[in-house]
Amino acid sequence: MEMLRRILFSVLLAGAIAQFARGDSPKITAVLTSSDVVVGETVQLQIQIDNAGTSMKPPSDINVPGLQIHYTGESTQMTMRNFAVSSSITYSYTILPEKSGTYKIPPQSIRAGKDNLQTPELTLRVADSPRTAAGTGSNRPPSGNTQVGEDKIAFAELLVPKKVAYVGEIIPVVVRIGFNSRARVAEMAPPQVSGQGFTVQKLGEGERNLENIDGRSYVIFNYKTAISAARVGNFQIGPVEQKANILVPRRSSGTRRKPFDPFAEDPFSDPFFALPFGGLMEQREIAVKSDPVSLEVKALPAGAPPTFSGAVGSFSMTAEANPKRVQLGDPITIKAAISGRGNFDRMNAPELSDERGWHKYPPSSNFKQDDDVGISGTKTFELVVSPNEKLTSVPPLAFGYFDPVKEKYVTLHSEAVPLIVEGNAPAAPAIAPTIAATSAPPALGGQQKAQDILYQINDRGKIVSSFAPVYARKEFWLAQLFPLTLALGLMGWKVQNVRVSNRAALRAAQLQQERDELLRKLRRDQLAPREYFSDASRVVQLKAALKQTNIEPATVDAETAARVFELNAEQSERMRRLFATSDEFRYSGAGNGESALSSDGRRETLELIESLS
Amino acid sequence: MKLRTLLQILLLLLFALPNGKGAANNDPSRTDGDLFAKANTEFAAGNFKGAIADYQAVVGSGEWSANLFYDLGNAYFRHGDFGRAILNYDRALRLDPHHPEVDANLRIAHDQAHSLELAPSALERYLNFGTANFFAIVAAIFFWLAIIWLILRPGRLLWTIAGIFLAAICGFAAFKLENGTRGQGLAIVIAENAEARVATVDSARSVLALPAGSEVLILQERGDWNYAALPNDQRGWVAANAVERVRL
Repeated sequence: MEMLRRILFSVLLAGAIAQFARGDSPKITAVLTSSDVVVGETVQLQIQIDNAGTSMKPPSDINVPGLQIHYTGESTQMTMRNFAVSSSITYSYTILPEKSGTYKIPPQSIRAGKDNLQTPELTLRVADSPRTAAGTGSNRPPSGNTQVGEDKIAFAELLVPKKVAYVGEIIPVVVRIGFNSRARVAEMAPPQVSGQGFTVQKLGEGERNLENIDGRSYVIFNYKTAISAARVGNFQIGPVEQKANILVPRRSSGTRRKPFDPFAEDPFSDPFFALPFGGLMEQREIAVKSDPVSLEVKALPAGAPPTFSGAVGSFSMTAEANPKRVQLGDPITIKAAISGRGNFDRMNAPELSDERGWHKYPPSSNFKQDDDVGISGTKTFELVVSPNEKLTSVPPLAFGYFDPVKEKYVTLHSEAVPLIVEGNAPAAPAIAPTIAATSAPPALGGQQKAQDILYQINDRGKIVSSFAPVYARKEFWLAQLFPLTLALGLMGWKVQNVRVSNRAALRAAQLQQERDELLRKLRRDQLAPREYFSDASRVVQLKAALKQTNIEPATVDAETAARVFELNAEQSERMRRLFATSDEFRYSGAGNGESALSSDGRRETLELIESLS
Repeated sequence: MKLRTLLQILLLLLFALPNGKGAANNDPSRTDGDLFAKANTEFAAGNFKGAIADYQAVVGSGEWSANLFYDLGNAYFRHGDFGRAILNYDRALRLDPHHPEVDANLRIAHDQAHSLELAPSALERYLNFGTANFFAIVAAIFFWLAIIWLILRPGRLLWTIAGIFLAAICGFAAFKLENGTRGQGLAIVIAENAEARVATVDSARSVLALPAGSEVLILQERGDWNYAALPNDQRGWVAANAVERVRL
């Protein structure tokens, strides 16, 4: 049993190693947390290498004039899925723009094993800001609004990429809560972004990363969300206040703390940490608070297109309509997919650019987000329309939105879809309303009806008691008994006929067999006269019965034979003599004294018999 | 000669028997007749609510006719309930597919309600010259003729095979019509602002908004929800109390 367990473990381990060994080739990606910032505002550059090996050196010095780029640390992530182990390393940099402009961050080369990986070129647009973000006295130099509490055990940070926004514009926000990596977070609720004048989307699950800040290792919880300003004005976002229960190593009893400054010393310098598994932890509740961030919200400019319904962002649109061949009044489903980045929650369906000749039904929608907070994705609208007249195409859809980067309204148009509409418009009723026209008051609030229904019918007509189809009723199946009976009757009749014909055939076969045997005896020339004539007359009887099936052989005499075989007078006479001779031999025992039959007589008799047909 | 006489008798019996009950019921009870007349009077007086109640009472008695459902549909139309008006016009058409007044009023009701109609399949459009009943009866006739021919002329198998083949085609046509957009699954949306959804919860994503009077084809019933084919060629779950089957 133990041996089996070892083998199984070895196989699993070998499989995992093999999976790891034959992992995909390394891939590199580089992203900016925001590509649009203002002067003084920080942005993060993250270079992530998937399926990375162990020996890699991140680019330590990225030089772009006008940008201060500092390496802040790395985090490693390993995942195992279906025994496939993959690892990724993320190198983080903080970028602080010094002046406005569009900057290109050049490709960075990283050597991973035998591969030389290169990041894509990134573009960062930096705008001037009247209120250049000033440092807030953070203990973390590159960040703008970091509040470190409890002497570097933890800190909170609120990252807002924009200081100026439009009403309705979606602004991504990241809340970072960091803990010294030697502390363990026992309990922490998701943070709340407080403030008035804007709506905050629900925070996503916190991403956990390990970062190196000022030479110390921090576990960072990144919570992503988005805010949308509801009205014009200057607002303050945050601060984010967060309480957490953490476990820190208990101090040794011999160490004395300074009064009123429990964290003046680094708590992790305690010798206890030399034996991390040998001591006890103590739980402590700490509170961290970020700096607030101010946001100026501007009104949308005038001149919105008629199709604008509140969408702010950057979008593209595709549309398709099906079916493309319909009858008048049949529904056509138009699927319009609007993709991009913006406030999808305030987005309405695109509209037909020309609604004449169409009847519209309320649209339905479905949103598929591409990120954690629902800022980017695709919203698919299904519009059902039906043509009221013969039209040749579904008109283009029009969708208007405000682009905050270009600071202008944009109207998207889809392409017209060719359409074939068949059939005629419903004809007006030929019969004029009678009762309805006189007695019925307007049913729908006095609205003028284009067409009115026809009169009541006072005759009840034919009464039925079932909607079921005829074959679902028992009467139908009972009715089948009649053709079934008929068929069975016909079948019985046919069987009877076959049986009768079989009997006749059997009788005929028996007669033929007897005839053939008698003829063979007659041809042998050895029979006595009495027997010869008896057999000869029997052959005539059998032949007559075979020719005329309703005759019994025993009843055939010379006259019957002559009639059946239609013999001439001479043959009839010979036939009569044959039967007479046979009777004489049968009843008298001799034929008029003849004791023997001549061979000529035999031959004549045989010829007569054989000529019968 | 004998055979022809037998076939004539067979056809007469085949057509006459299913209608035997209907013929026997041609004399409705006096109570139902009185109620029907009372409903007509109420309709003429503009008391559509009362007329609907009386027509429904007659419907509840189980003695139905195309004219009864037509009149009930008219009462609902005047009452402003286009969903139930269309439902009853459809029921009238099931009992009498060639009822001209029903056809005209149904078209008007659909226009007024802006309801969605199921598009029949190509096969159903080809078969629309007959009903499921018609094809079922023709299938039975072809079947028995083929069987009788097989008994009488067992050597002439080609005609027998042709008869069986035609019977199968007619049976298939009856099946397709019975299970098609005008078949047993047809239901009418009677609720206002009904929606077909992707799942059996009210908060599920909407597939299609269904105006009252819209047609759906119920494919499966599950508790308070029906899975149905929709007029836009999609499928979705519709609340069971929002739709009513045409066939009683």
